Amino acid sequence: MPKQIYLDYAATTPIDEEVLEAMMPYLKKDFGNPSSLHHFGQITRVAIDQTRKKAARFLNCSESEIVFCGSATEANSLAIFGVVKALQKKIKKPFHIITTKIEHHAVLHPFEELEKQGVEVSFVAPNKIGIVETKEIKKAIKDNTVFISVMYANNEIGTVQPIEEIGKLISQINKNRKQKIYFHTDAVQAVNYLDCDVQKLKVDLLTLSAHKIYGPKGVGALFIKKGTPIEPIIYGGGHEFGLRSGTENVAGIVGLGKAIELVEKHKGDTERIKNLRDKIIEEVLKIPNAKLNGSRENRLPNNVNVSISGVEGESLVIALDQEGIAVSTGSACSSHELKPSHVLLAIGLSPKSTHGSLRITLGRFTTEDEIDYFLKVLPKVVKRLREISPF
Amino acid sequence: MKKKNKKVVVAMSGGIDSSVAAALLKKAGFDVIGVFMLFWSEDTKNAKWNRCCSPGAQARAREVAKILDIPFYVLDFRKEFKKQIVDYFLKEIKKGRTSNPCVECNRFIKFEVLFKKTKELGGDFLATGHYVRKRECKIQNAKCKIYKLLKAKDKEKDQSYFLWRLTQNQLKHLIFPLGNLTKNEVKNLAKKFKLPVLGIPESQEICFVGTSLEEFLKKYLKPKSGKIVDTKGNVLGEHKGLIFYTIGQRKGIGLSGGPYYVLKKDTKNNLLIVTKNERDLYQKELIAKEVNWISGIPPKLPIRVKAKIRYLHTPAPATLHMTSNVTRTVLVIFDKPQRAITPGQSVVFYKRNEVLGGGIIETTINDKL
Repeated sequence: MPKQIYLDYAATTPIDEEVLEAMMPYLKKDFGNPSSLHHFGQITRVAIDQTRKKAARFLNCSESEIVFCGSATEANSLAIFGVVKALQKKIKKPFHIITTKIEHHAVLHPFEELEKQGVEVSFVAPNKIGIVETKEIKKAIKDNTVFISVMYANNEIGTVQPIEEIGKLISQINKNRKQKIYFHTDAVQAVNYLDCDVQKLKVDLLTLSAHKIYGPKGVGALFIKKGTPIEPIIYGGGHEFGLRSGTENVAGIVGLGKAIELVEKHKGDTERIKNLRDKIIEEVLKIPNAKLNGSRENRLPNNVNVSISGVEGESLVIALDQEGIAVSTGSACSSHELKPSHVLLAIGLSPKSTHGSLRITLGRFTTEDEIDYFLKVLPKVVKRLREISPF
Repeated sequence: MKKKNKKVVVAMSGGIDSSVAAALLKKAGFDVIGVFMLFWSEDTKNAKWNRCCSPGAQARAREVAKILDIPFYVLDFRKEFKKQIVDYFLKEIKKGRTSNPCVECNRFIKFEVLFKKTKELGGDFLATGHYVRKRECKIQNAKCKIYKLLKAKDKEKDQSYFLWRLTQNQLKHLIFPLGNLTKNEVKNLAKKFKLPVLGIPESQEICFVGTSLEEFLKKYLKPKSGKIVDTKGNVLGEHKGLIFYTIGQRKGIGLSGGPYYVLKKDTKNNLLIVTKNERDLYQKELIAKEVNWISGIPPKLPIRVKAKIRYLHTPAPATLHMTSNVTRTVLVIFDKPQRAITPGQSVVFYKRNEVLGGGIIETTINDKL
């Protein structure tokens, strides 16, 4: 095998050395249960509280508004099922909820499940460049709309959604309403690069994940604005303000805290990554019949998603893997699916052309040399695959 | 053959045969890549996965690849499998014919779709765990070579019946590492290589059927009940739908005063024709279509062969004749009548150990009655 180049940071990121170092004591000597009264418990309780503080500072909220979960998927489920459950208890009449057609399955499938259970749901379509326009959300809002979830940045095509604008719209509408609309955003892909100030964004709930920001897998967090009606979906010992029972993953949560700290420290790196991204886009589009998916301007600094006609995405991923380059066809989750990407379909690609899509996502440890190597290999691989016919 | 730097893609199912095949190739010095194919399956409460490629099988294949230290990829062929294998099987059943999904799977999935993937992976060869042998022969006074397909050394396990559709070009790029081994030798090799594949039951069922074939057919086809008649046209009773019966079947016809045997399915009139006289099931002649000759060159007919009409049939002496009109069609006349020749099944022609070719059984002489 040649050298290994990782260009799939949207799937997951490597753990930063500093994160691992911060976690180590809690995997070794500081093993206490944070709920214990004794000294062992006190140490780990403090560690969790410190992460809560860091997260609160990062999101510009108070510490009591942060709940740690076992993953971002779980945090999304808590946000969606938890709020809807609480609202169902409060409002006795049928109500309406809204999301978009380009959400991650961790949001899309809970909404589909609620629809099956009889809740009225609208799935708002994006425009051709993968942006859900505020005016479309406005159009979808009804008198009985109570909950809206729009992702901050798309995991497949990297398009950045106008969360601040939608937040403003909703808070405007809420002024004249008895029953407020609650606004959630899945910010998993956004945390590294975008402003996540919840006051500015005017969101009531926000989801983030540790393993997308150089932290460990198995940790997510949910911001829940004070006063938001929410019920737990997991019951037990009443951990995390009663919203997420289960002994805390102390080392993981500490890792998340360190990872959040490092996001702020590495903010200056964004420009470098963006330049590498632009270099890729420019070069890849020189391949005949290659097309960029999603907006060129409103996209994450680390995301490139292209459709290359005449080649299957799966074949490209495998061929590049043989050259030591790790990329993906879409989301890592969709690799298990038979269906074409729902995101690419939503922005108007035909089912056939979704099969030739390739997602290249960069990160903190990506170097210019790696990109040059990738750009040298890709056109050759595409050319070879396009020429292949069965033996 | 220079093995160094030759790349082989091996189809791994997580079973003992393909695992040992992969291990042997690795040991021989090839640059080996393991692939696991995902096939479509009926989604039922009891079974969500195709028997050939369950998550357990996938995990085993991956573990073997790890032990052998070879790259491993899962290839999703569910869409192709549904279209080319399952839909074709159902279409044939509807026509009153019983096709062999394994023959079609080898043809379309393994040796077409997977062959293309092999090339994409930069593979020089594709290898499978089939029990068959390939032999390279030089043609006299010619520079070119010809590849022969031979029965396996282990006559009990021989799977050449399923591979009659192979072409020279495919054979050229195929490796069958188990052809010269017996099942026992393969078991011992698995032990020797410490592969975690012993004691896994081998399935005989159709791989994509969830619970039972009858349930499957009920779900995907509309059975139409009709009359059961004897050869003279006397009505004897009702059948549940022709799709549920196969030629030669004795059990489950539901007539008293038997035993009766299914002789023929008249799909045009929705009649199930049965007989009490088992001798009626025996026929000497059949017409084979879509005939393929492994050598790529049709032999001069007539020729003497041994012909096999289903996987568990003992090849019987027969003569192949030209038919008057159509190409790729052969008239097969057995020396002695054979029981339950079934339209849709494969007939494979052997000369001693060599597979000459085969075809799909189109009609039997009974159909002309």
